[in-house]
Amino acid sequence: MRRARKIKIDHNSEFELDLAPLLAVMVKLVPVLLVSSAFVQMMVIETELPQVVSEAIQRQDQQPIPTTVALEMDAKTGIRLVLNEKGQEKAETIPMKDGHFDLDLLHEKLVAVKKLHPEVFKLEISPEGSVPYDEIVKVMDVARQARDAKITFPVFDTKQGKNVETKYMFPEIIFTNMMEG
Amino acid sequence: MARRRSRFEPNVKKNSTFTLNITSMTDMFTIMLVFLLQSYTTSDVQIIPEKDLRLPTSASMTNPTEAIKLSLTASALKIDQTKITDLDKAHFLAQDLEDKDTNFIKPLFEELDKLAKSSTDKDKAHIKEGRILLQADKDLPYATLRKVMYTASMAGFPQLKLVTMVGD
Repeated sequence: MRRARKIKIDHNSEFELDLAPLLAVMVKLVPVLLVSSAFVQMMVIETELPQVVSEAIQRQDQQPIPTTVALEMDAKTGIRLVLNEKGQEKAETIPMKDGHFDLDLLHEKLVAVKKLHPEVFKLEISPEGSVPYDEIVKVMDVARQARDAKITFPVFDTKQGKNVETKYMFPEIIFTNMMEG
Repeated sequence: MARRRSRFEPNVKKNSTFTLNITSMTDMFTIMLVFLLQSYTTSDVQIIPEKDLRLPTSASMTNPTEAIKLSLTASALKIDQTKITDLDKAHFLAQDLEDKDTNFIKPLFEELDKLAKSSTDKDKAHIKEGRILLQADKDLPYATLRKVMYTASMAGFPQLKLVTMVGD
């Protein structure tokens, strides 16, 4: 009878967790992460620079004239979209809008070009000297991939042997007027 | 009598240890930890942003790779943290440019050429392949950028990567 009274458990007592070791770990982890974390995330855009010699060789190699898409950017008149198809040039001008390039219209035109020529991934850009760097990057962004996720373009995958859909339009950007004086 | 008094006096244990309530602190740390883990990048290249250099924002999602880091602001051209030459209001000084070829920046070419030929660095993959990370201020005109690109490609660094910021 006495023993039964001894093992009586107090159900109202509060259970307390020892948080001190957990806190010790966090105090050490937080400074480590603070030091090593980058608050400004930086990414890169890959571009190719035409090399004097290799470009000349490439031009000779390209006997069946490929389709090229080029953008000529001028800070005053706007962007001239030049589509070179089997030696024939088709040019369209996209005028400036409120002192900036009309990126929406450019995007529409580029999507249309890409739909006609899904095999072209290279975009040659030749900005005029006074065009700010920021505008060039914006144009590259517009050209890289389709804004509308529904729009995709077929690419032939040699590994799978069939067409694969991609959202990328012109990821390879080449500055063509680099070597000109 | 004794029993009745104890009911009104607070029951203080004299030799109990003082315990801090750290639950709220742990709470805060947990939130901080999650936030920091989320902003933690696994990119292997550390790009130190320059003072008075505002990078353009882009939707590009390619992580930077090891390369020679060039930074170009309206007042200076630097490789890593070492200044190569000064610029005057986003334009290169006439003395730095070649007379016949105004796209050629002499001090930059010399420095890149030194890097490409130095015995300690020349076997590194990024120098052999000629990779350059260019951080340039977003307001610079293309004419200034082109001079840097032109000189870099002449010095045997044709793979140019433009550093951009993630943002809207």
